[in-house]
Amino acid sequence: MPFTFVEIEKRKSRVIVFAFFFLILIYFLTAYLLLFIIENWFLRGEEGGLLWPSLEHSLYALVAAVVIAFVHWLNSTDNLILKLSSSINAVPLDPKDLYHQYLQNIVDEVAIATGGRKIKPMIIPSAGMNAFALDDFAGHSIIGVTEGLLARLNRSQIEAVVAHEAAHIASGDCFTTTLVCSLGELYEVSVNKLKATLGQENRGSNRGVGLIILIYIVLVFTNFLSKTLRCFLSRASESRADAIAVKLVRNPLSLAEALKLISQKLHSQCGAQDNMQSIFIVSPQPNSLDEKENLLANLFSTHPPIKNRVGMLLAMAHLDEKSLDENLKDFVRVSPVAKPVFSLEAAPPRTGKWSFMRDGIWNGPFSFDELKGISGILPTQWFKAEGAEQVGMAFDFPELMDLFDKNLPASKGTCPNCKVALQEFSYEGVPVLRCNYCEGYFVDHYKINRLLIRQDYAPAPELVRLAKLVAESKDKMMLRNYKNPRFVIECPVCKKCKMSRQFFVYSYPVEIDRCTACSGVWFDKTELEVLQYIHDNKETLLYKDGAF
Amino acid sequence: MVVMLVLLFIVIVAAIWFFATYNSLIGLKLRVENAWSQIDVQLKRRHDLIPNLVETVKGYMAYEKDTLERVIKARSQAIDASNLKDKAQAENFLTQTLRSLFAVVEKYPDLKANQNVLQLQGELTSTENKISFARQYFNDEVQNYNTMIQTVPSNFVAGIANFQKKEFFEIEDASQKEPPQVKL
Repeated sequence: MPFTFVEIEKRKSRVIVFAFFFLILIYFLTAYLLLFIIENWFLRGEEGGLLWPSLEHSLYALVAAVVIAFVHWLNSTDNLILKLSSSINAVPLDPKDLYHQYLQNIVDEVAIATGGRKIKPMIIPSAGMNAFALDDFAGHSIIGVTEGLLARLNRSQIEAVVAHEAAHIASGDCFTTTLVCSLGELYEVSVNKLKATLGQENRGSNRGVGLIILIYIVLVFTNFLSKTLRCFLSRASESRADAIAVKLVRNPLSLAEALKLISQKLHSQCGAQDNMQSIFIVSPQPNSLDEKENLLANLFSTHPPIKNRVGMLLAMAHLDEKSLDENLKDFVRVSPVAKPVFSLEAAPPRTGKWSFMRDGIWNGPFSFDELKGISGILPTQWFKAEGAEQVGMAFDFPELMDLFDKNLPASKGTCPNCKVALQEFSYEGVPVLRCNYCEGYFVDHYKINRLLIRQDYAPAPELVRLAKLVAESKDKMMLRNYKNPRFVIECPVCKKCKMSRQFFVYSYPVEIDRCTACSGVWFDKTELEVLQYIHDNKETLLYKDGAF
Repeated sequence: MVVMLVLLFIVIVAAIWFFATYNSLIGLKLRVENAWSQIDVQLKRRHDLIPNLVETVKGYMAYEKDTLERVIKARSQAIDASNLKDKAQAENFLTQTLRSLFAVVEKYPDLKANQNVLQLQGELTSTENKISFARQYFNDEVQNYNTMIQTVPSNFVAGIANFQKKEFFEIEDASQKEPPQVKL
């Protein structure tokens, strides 16, 4: 494995030269083909037989090919990582999210095992399970995983997956794949665009349509060539990366488990386009070829059969497939997030009275609500609970700490029901805003997905009952919901407008308040938990009859 | 004349080989040093995290002064250690005391539910993993280097240019030498 940067750089420049000449070759072949077809179709001479383009024309084709290849190259390699990662909707980490911190730690650890490469983690906010790596000219590397993978695998499995991706980067083949993917993206985009134009311009002149079809054929041809090249690249390198990953984290079993789990579940839901397949750990668009090993499969599938990969890893761990299945059967993931205690009862009313020291005399006793009305109370003031001897500063009494919430910056928002300041709260690792009185949550729209994917908190039995009730009364609620749209509370964060009370989505009968300006959602107490339960059990609760 | 030419040729080839081997030895040595600096960064990070942890748990653990003091002592020992062997020993001792501290934390439900403690614990665990990965990388590099200076023919060059064998960064702790148990 070329571990030194010098070796990798050398390899990189070889790859660049090769890819560039391959590009020129493809364009030349394409141009030649085009020339050939045009000369035979439009300019057919009197005598029959095929016309071959002259040397002069071929030379023109070559020049055109070089120019086009150059433009294509510049277009594709500019801002490579940003372009590719945004085409698969990868986003940077949310530094406040506990799961994302956890991923950052894992990636940092593995980066050290590769000898200290700088690797930046990214997230695909999707429920599927997959991971990818990208690497560009300047040595910027990215490893991305999906939310679903973070939420469903345990730490050592995620570490093994990240190590697999880091192996791609460390061995230098990630750069090749990234380059080829970005070169291929142009074709993908143009083919898609042409398909659309072809649909629209059916009524154009015959010759125009002919030309479009011609270009289309050419594009399909080039696309096909580049795809084949891509497949060649990835299939062999996946197994190699598995081996290097084992060398990095010395844990073949976890990688085998991870591959098995990923292949069993939803690895397709990543919104990946055709040309991006080869950057993922498991093909995001599985087809029947993936699990075969004949010549055709070797040519067109981007990944080797999972079975082979798992088998190889198990051989390293001296285990067989049966014991792997056995292990996975009672596989319980340890959640990295602390579990808060949930109850359906209201927050305990604040009983008791306190006195406080001001200007050398004890004032009070006052109840909590009275204290709230008194201005100028500081956390470092002396307090004494009624009937108790113990004296302490306000911060020694946890129940008094809420007094100072109103002094927090207002930007965090106020509870729409109780009008008190919302607190930052980590719900299954996701930073949300919570009202400590009514226990409602405000969640930004782009974070809701994470809440639905993660399953750290087991629902209480009361909640399960409630959720089942909600699911059963779906039809009734739907009627009510759509008869009269309601705007009850004001958005606690943007404060621009009222929130609309509506179903979370059409098929989930959980009513929430959604801001029409910022799309943030306010969940009253238990609404979020019920929504999560219904989402996790939608097959049994909502789609019982096979339809909805 | 021919003999002279052949001799000259042999000398030139030998010189080229000598310098090439010398250069690759230097390259390997630099890689070992780089790998060491990576361990050092992580060790330092662990030393920086420990006071925070002690500060956070101190309030809760009035009766566990011994454990905390041992952690603090182990930390200052690890910072003071100078040569590789002492360092490895001190760091292993620190790892052990930290483990016993976390075992104590398990006994306090308040602490276990404290997000701050959990986060610090996560950070420390991650740093420990980083240390072990850095050590793994370091030992791999040391092995490459040692193999090179001990095998024929590069050992001649190493002998002439006085390349010394490097020490591994080893684990002394007996419990860590046992193979890990597979628990899923």
